[in-house]
Amino acid sequence: MTADATIVSTTDLHRRYGEGPAAVDALAGVSIAVARGGFTAIMGASGSGKSTLMHLMAGLDQPSSGTVSLDGVEISGLDDKRLTKLRRDRVGFVFQAFNLLGVLTAEENVVLPLTIAGRKPDAAWLESLIQTTGLADRRTHRPAELSGGQQQRVAIARALVSRPAVVFADEPTGNLDSAASTDVLGLLRRSVDDFEQTVVMVTHDASAAAYADRLIVLADGRVAHDGAAGSADEIFDVMKAVGS
Amino acid sequence: MRRVALRGLSARPLRTALTALAVVLGVAMIAGTYIFTDTIDRSFTEVFEQANSGTDVTVTPRKVDDDFFADPPPLGEGLVERVRSVQGVKAAAGAIFGEVSIRKPDGDPVSANSFVSSLQPEPFEQFRFTTGRAPRSDAEIGLDEDTFRNQGYELGDRVRIVGDEGARRFTLVGAARFGEQASIAGFPVAIATLAVAQALTGQRGRVGGISVSAADGLTAPLLRGRVQAALNGEAVTVRTGEEDASAQAADLQDQFGFFRTALLVFGGIALFVGAFVIYNTFSITVAQRTRELALLRMLGASRRQVLRSVVLEAAIVGLIASLLGLLGGFALVPALRALLAAIGADLPQTSSVIAGRTIAVSLLVGVLVTVVASIVPALRATKIAPISALRDGLTAPARAGRARLAVAGLLCLIGAGVVAYGLFGGASGGSAAATLGAGSVAIFLGVALLSPQLVRPIAALVGAPMQRLAGISGRLARENATRNPARTAVTAAALMVGVALVAFVSIFAAGLQGSIDRAVDRAFAGDLTVGAKSGFGETPPAMLSTLRRVDGVGSVSSVRFSEAKVEGEKGSTSVGGIDPQTLARVYTLRWKQGSDATLERLGSDGILADTGFSDDARVGDRVTMLTPAGKRVTYVIRGLLDEGSDFGLLGGGLVIPNARLREDFDVTDDAFVFVRFAQGANPARTRAAIDRTLAASFPDARTRDRQQVKEQQAGQINQLLYLIYALLALSVIVSLFGIVNTLALSIFERTRELGLLRAVGMSRRQVKRIVRLEAVITSLIGALLGLVLGILFALAISRPLEEEGFRLTFPVGTLALLVTLAALAGMLAALWPARRAARLDVLRALAYE
Repeated sequence: MTADATIVSTTDLHRRYGEGPAAVDALAGVSIAVARGGFTAIMGASGSGKSTLMHLMAGLDQPSSGTVSLDGVEISGLDDKRLTKLRRDRVGFVFQAFNLLGVLTAEENVVLPLTIAGRKPDAAWLESLIQTTGLADRRTHRPAELSGGQQQRVAIARALVSRPAVVFADEPTGNLDSAASTDVLGLLRRSVDDFEQTVVMVTHDASAAAYADRLIVLADGRVAHDGAAGSADEIFDVMKAVGS
Repeated sequence: MRRVALRGLSARPLRTALTALAVVLGVAMIAGTYIFTDTIDRSFTEVFEQANSGTDVTVTPRKVDDDFFADPPPLGEGLVERVRSVQGVKAAAGAIFGEVSIRKPDGDPVSANSFVSSLQPEPFEQFRFTTGRAPRSDAEIGLDEDTFRNQGYELGDRVRIVGDEGARRFTLVGAARFGEQASIAGFPVAIATLAVAQALTGQRGRVGGISVSAADGLTAPLLRGRVQAALNGEAVTVRTGEEDASAQAADLQDQFGFFRTALLVFGGIALFVGAFVIYNTFSITVAQRTRELALLRMLGASRRQVLRSVVLEAAIVGLIASLLGLLGGFALVPALRALLAAIGADLPQTSSVIAGRTIAVSLLVGVLVTVVASIVPALRATKIAPISALRDGLTAPARAGRARLAVAGLLCLIGAGVVAYGLFGGASGGSAAATLGAGSVAIFLGVALLSPQLVRPIAALVGAPMQRLAGISGRLARENATRNPARTAVTAAALMVGVALVAFVSIFAAGLQGSIDRAVDRAFAGDLTVGAKSGFGETPPAMLSTLRRVDGVGSVSSVRFSEAKVEGEKGSTSVGGIDPQTLARVYTLRWKQGSDATLERLGSDGILADTGFSDDARVGDRVTMLTPAGKRVTYVIRGLLDEGSDFGLLGGGLVIPNARLREDFDVTDDAFVFVRFAQGANPARTRAAIDRTLAASFPDARTRDRQQVKEQQAGQINQLLYLIYALLALSVIVSLFGIVNTLALSIFERTRELGLLRAVGMSRRQVKRIVRLEAVITSLIGALLGLVLGILFALAISRPLEEEGFRLTFPVGTLALLVTLAALAGMLAALWPARRAARLDVLRALAYE
C-alpha cells in the first residue's frame, strides 16, 4: 500500500468532551490510515470512541488536537463553509436511521447531495446505482412507503451518487432485520468491489464487520487492534481478546 | 399533574414567552384604551365640576327635538334679564365658551384646538388671575397659566386671535389658574370680556349658558323649579350646578364612547388573531408531547387530568400575558394620544386613571381567550392512547376531515347570512356594525377551517417560482409548508384576518375617494373654493362679502348645511343651503325635474328635493318641518335634484335658499364658498389677490382649486385610513408572532432532518433559505386568502351604497403592495427561526432523540 493510496488518515487524534475533572477523553491519540478502495470496519464497545472517530474523519466534529486528512485535504482546520462543501462533494453518509427526507421521493433523496450543490446527476451513473440498489420500481415512492431495508438502500445510493472519496456508514444495519442487513452489507461490499468505492463502517456487530477487508478495534479511545477482518468468528475472538 | 404543567412551562421559557406575546398586544390595547379614555373622562369631569362650583342653577340651550344631530344654537342674551328677575335669584350671568385660534408671535396656532372663555361676574368666575389682572376692556385678554408660561408670553404682549370675524390683536394683561389647575384639561384658553368672546365665536348678542346663584336660604333644586317656571316654553334646559356638571360629563362620555368602542374593537381583533396563534401553538406542542402525555396516561393519569394539565398551562400563559398586557396598556397610552393628535384631536395629558374595571377586564379577557383557544388542543391531548408512549415518532390522531369541512361551510354560510342581514336588514348604526362584525368573525373562522384544503394548491402556486429560483431550498420549503396543512393553514389564517381588514379598508377608501372625485369633477364649475385651512369647520358670512369685492372675482356663492325634522319622515333630514341667484354660475346641478331657471323662480317659500329625500316627492308638494331653531315652517318643492345623497355636495336631502336658512334655521356660516373669476381676469393674479385678502382678514381660511379640493378630501380619508392601518398593524404583528412560533416549533421537530441535510452538504445559507421561504409561502397563503376575503367584503358593503353614488374602485397598486409587504413580513418573522435552524450543531442534530 503506497502513501498515494491513502484516502483518509488521522495523526495522534485527541477529542476531549467537557472541561476540568469531569472531562472525558473520547479519543486519546488515534493514528490510522485508510486506503483507497477498501472496506474498513471500526468496532469497539460503547464509549470506545468509534463514533467520535468517524465523526472527526467525516468533518462533522473538530478534534481537540491531532489532524485529519481526507482525500489530500487537511480538514481539521477548515471552517464550516469549507467543511460543508467537503462533505457535499467528497463524503457520503449512511446513518443508522432517519436517513431520508420524508417529503422527497426515493429518487429525489438519492440525488439530494447533487441537488444541494446545484448539479445535475450523471444519468448513466444514476441509472446503474438505482438498478444496483434494486430501487427501479420504487423511484417515486416516499420513504414512508418503503421498508427499512429499502430506505437504507436509498441512503446507500445517495451516499454513492456524488462518487465521494469515502463513504462513512454509522451502524447501517442497527435498525434492520437480518435479511435486510445482509442486503445492505452486500450492497456496501459491492460498492467497494464493483465501483472501487472506499467505505468506512462503524458497527458493533461482528457479522457485519465480517463483510469488511480490514478491522480496526478501539478501546478507551485508542486503537486496540488493526488488521485483516476475517470471518465473524475470528472477529469475535479479536473482540474478546481486546476485552470489549 | 399540576406540577407537570408548571414544569413544562418553566422548562420552555422561550416558547411560553412567544405564546404569551400573542395575547399581550391585544390585552395591552384593551387596557390602554380604558386607561386612556378613563383619564380623559376624569380630566373633563373635573373641569365641569370646577366650572359649576359657584353656580346653583344653570340654564342651557336645548335641542327642539332629540332627533337633531347638531348642538342647539346659543341662547338670546335677553333671557339673562328674565332669569335675573326671577324671585330668589341673587345673581345671573351669561357666559360663552367656544373655539378660536390663538396664535403664537410667529403666526402659528399654539395648539390644534384652543378656546375663548368669557369672564363672568362673581361668584361664577372660576379663573383666578395669578399674574397681572383680568381683562377690563375689549382690547385686553388673559391666558391660562400653562399657555402663558409654555409659550413664553409676557404681560403687555400683543396676542393675535383668529375668530369668526377674522383676526384681532389684544393686549395680554394677565394669566389665570382654573380653580387649582394651571389649565383647562391642557387646552389653551383665552379669557376675554363677554362682548369679545361673543364676537370671536360669532355669537354677538348670544350666550352659551346662564349661571344663576340663589339668594341666601334658597336651595338649588327649589331655585331650579322657579327658573324653569319662568322660562316655560323656551328651548332651554334648567339644571342645578351639580346636575349640569354630571350631564356634561355624561354627554362627553357618550361622545367618547364611540371612540372607546372603536379602539376596543381593534384590541378585540388583535385578541381574535392571538387566539389563532394560541390554538396553533398548543396544537403543535400537544402533538410534540404525545409521548410524554401518553406516558402520563400509562402511569395512570386520567383523561380529565390530561385535559386539566393542558388547560391549566393555557390559563397560566394567559395570566402572564394579561399581566404583561396590562403593563403594556400604560405604555400604549402615549401612543394612542399621539395617534389622535395625528388626526387633529389634541387631548390633554394628565395622570393616568386605572379603574378596577380596567384590571378586571384585561385579566379576564386575556385568560379567557387563551383558555378557550387551548380547549380543542387539550381535548385532542386526551385522545392520545397510552400505547403511544411506546411507539416511535409523532403520530397525530387522524382528524375528521368531512366533519371539519361541513362545519367550515356552515360557518361561512351563517357568516354570509349574518353579514347580509347587517347590510340589508334595516338595522342602523351600532347594531348593524355589531351584526357585520359577528358575521365577519364567523366567515373568518369558516375560512380558517376550510383553509387546510387550500394550503396545497396555494403553496403549489407560490412555491413553483421559488423552486425554480431557489432550487432544493424552494422545493423543501414548499414541502415543509404543506407537510402539515392544518398547522400552516391556522398560521396563515391569523395573518389572513389582518390582511383582509386592511384590504377591505383600502378598497373602501379608494371607492370613497373615487366617488368624491367624480362628484367634484361633475359639479364644481368655478375656479376656486375657499374654506377652513383644516378642511373642517365653517367660515363666517363676512368672508363671503369680503371675497365678492376682491379684484377679478366674478361670482361668489356659498353652500350651508343644517337639518330639519320633516313631518311624515323618520329622524332628521339633511338640509343644504344655497344662493339661488349665484349657484348656477359656480356649480353644475343635476336635475331630475326642473332646470337652472327653476332657481330663479324659487320665490320666498320654494325649495328643491335631492336624491336622498323621500322617493315619492313631487314638484308642488308642500313640506312642513321643524327647524333646529324651533320654528315650524312650510315650503313648496319646486324642483327635483339628483346630486347623490352621500357624495353630492348639497347634503342629499332638501335644498333651501340661504336666506331662508338664516331666517328659519338660524344658520349663517358657510360650509363651502365657490369662486368664479370674472371674464378676462388673470387667474393667477386674482388668486393671489384673494390669498392676500384672506391672510390679512381671515387667516384660518385658504383657497383651493379643483385638484386641491380633491387632495384635501383625499387627505382626510387617508388620515383616517392610516389611523386604521396603524391599529390593524397590531393584529398583523400578532400573526407574525404566530409565524415565528410555528416555524420555531417545526424546526424543533425537524432537528434530525436538518442535521441530515447539513451532513450531506447543505450550507447554512441554504438551510436559512428553506426556513425563510417556508415563512414566505405561509404568509402569502394568508395574504391571498385575506385579499380575496377583503375584496368580497368590499363588494358586499358597496352594494347598498351604490344607489348613493358610491362606485367601487380597486387600488391595484396598494393591494399588490399589501401582498408584497405580507411576504416581506413573513421573511422578517423567519429571521430568528432561520438563524436557529442554521446554527444547529450537525452532530447533536443527528443524535437528537
